[in-house]
Amino acid sequence: MPTAEYFAPTELRDALRLLAERGNQITILAGGTDLVPQFNCRELRPHALLYIGKLGLNYIIAKNGGLAVGSATSLEEIATNRLVFERAPVLAQAAAEMGNPTIRNVATIGGNLATASRAADMPPPLLALDAELSLVSERGERVIPIGEFFKRAHKTVRLADELLTEIRIPSVKGQTAFVRHGRRKVFSCCVASVAVRVVMDGGKCADARIVAGSMASTPVRCLGAEGILQGKHLTSELAVEAAAQAVGECKPIDDDRATAWYRRRVIKVLIERAINRASDL
Amino acid sequence: MKYVLSFTVNGQPVETLAEPTASLLDILRDQLDVTSPKRGCESGDCGACTVVVDGRAVPSCLTTALTVAGSEVTTVEGLMGDGQLHPLQREFYERCAAQCGFCTSGMLMAAKALLDRNPSPTRAEIALAMSGNLCRCGAYVQVMEAIEAVAGRKCEVKAEDTRERE
Repeated sequence: MPTAEYFAPTELRDALRLLAERGNQITILAGGTDLVPQFNCRELRPHALLYIGKLGLNYIIAKNGGLAVGSATSLEEIATNRLVFERAPVLAQAAAEMGNPTIRNVATIGGNLATASRAADMPPPLLALDAELSLVSERGERVIPIGEFFKRAHKTVRLADELLTEIRIPSVKGQTAFVRHGRRKVFSCCVASVAVRVVMDGGKCADARIVAGSMASTPVRCLGAEGILQGKHLTSELAVEAAAQAVGECKPIDDDRATAWYRRRVIKVLIERAINRASDL
Repeated sequence: MKYVLSFTVNGQPVETLAEPTASLLDILRDQLDVTSPKRGCESGDCGACTVVVDGRAVPSCLTTALTVAGSEVTTVEGLMGDGQLHPLQREFYERCAAQCGFCTSGMLMAAKALLDRNPSPTRAEIALAMSGNLCRCGAYVQVMEAIEAVAGRKCEVKAEDTRERE
C-alpha cells in the first residue's frame, strides 16, 4: 500500500518552503474532520501531509476595531470566545451550530473554508461581515475578499504554494442574524443556511448583505434581494419580497440531505426569518 | 512511511510507529491494545470512539494519530483509580445507562470532559455536550440521569422512580 509522508513544522517559513517546493503533492491537514474520514475509507491516499496545527495559527485577536482569526483556530474556540461574541456574534452563532462540541474541538475555521464544501457553515457569516482572507506564500501575502475565494465545490483560488493563514473581519455596521436548517437541531450537516446583515440609517435600510449557504456550489450573495431592501423601511412584507427574489438567485442541487425542490422552499423561509430577526421585526 | 509517535495514554508515556493517515483510534486499538474506544462509523457521526485529548473530548476516528504527539490522551482504561470505579462509571452501572454498551466508552469520556470543565452543568449543557454520542439502544434518559447524579443535580422525579423499582 502506498504510504504518505508527514510534515508538522513549527515555523511558518518551513511550511511555506515545503509548499513552494512540492505544493502540488501536498495535502494540508488542520483539524482533519473532513480529511480523516476519507483516509479511513481509503477514498483519499495523499502523497504528503502538511499539518499546520503547530504553526501558531490558533488565535483570535482584536484588530482595527474588528478581528483577526488564525486559520487553525477551532470552531469551539470561535463559538465561545468573548471577542467574537462582541464583534462578530453572527460568526459565533454559526460556529456554535456546526457539528457538536467534540467535532468543534477539532474542526478549524480555515479548514471549513479551504475544504470549500457546499454545506460549509463559516462562509455565509463571513461573507455577510465582508471578511478578507490572507493567503501567504514565499512570494508574499495576498489578501482577498472572501467572496472571491470559492470557485466551485471543493475548489478555491488558493494556489498550490499558498497557505490560508488568517481570516480578517473588519469593523462593520449593522445588525446580523444567522438561520440554519439541518435534519436535527444539533449535529447535522447543513441543508440550507443564511446569514443576513442590515445597516439601518434614519429608519431605512442603508446597506444589506444576504448570503445563502448550501444553495449552490459556492455561497450565494443574493445581490438582487439585497437591492430590494436598500433604501426602504424594513417590513415583514418587504422581507417576503426579498426572500422570493433570493430564491431565484440560488442554484441548489439534490443530494443525500435534501432535494433542490425542498431547499428552495426552506431557504425562502430562512431568509424571511433572518431579515426579520436582524431588523427586529 | 511510518513515523515515531510519542504521547501519553492514561498517564503512561508510550512510543509507537504510525502511518500519517492512521487515526488515533487505529493506533489506540490496533497497536496499543487500548480497546475501550469503539470503532463505530469512522466518520465522526456516532461518538463511540470519543477520547479526551489534553482535557477536550474529541472523536478519535477523526483525529490523525501523529497530531497528538506530546499530548495526554485519556480513555476509559484511565478512569479507574486504585481499583475503584470512577463516579461516572458507578452511576452508569447502577442506573443501567448501558444496554448493549457499545456507545458507553464514548459517553463516559464525553461526560468526563464536560464535568472536568464544568462540575455542575445544567440539563441543557449536558445534552449539548453529549449531542455527538449516539446510543442505538436508546438509553439516553439513564445516561442523562447518571451524569446529573455525578454532577450532584439529581432529577427528583426520576430518583423516586428508581426507589420504587427497588
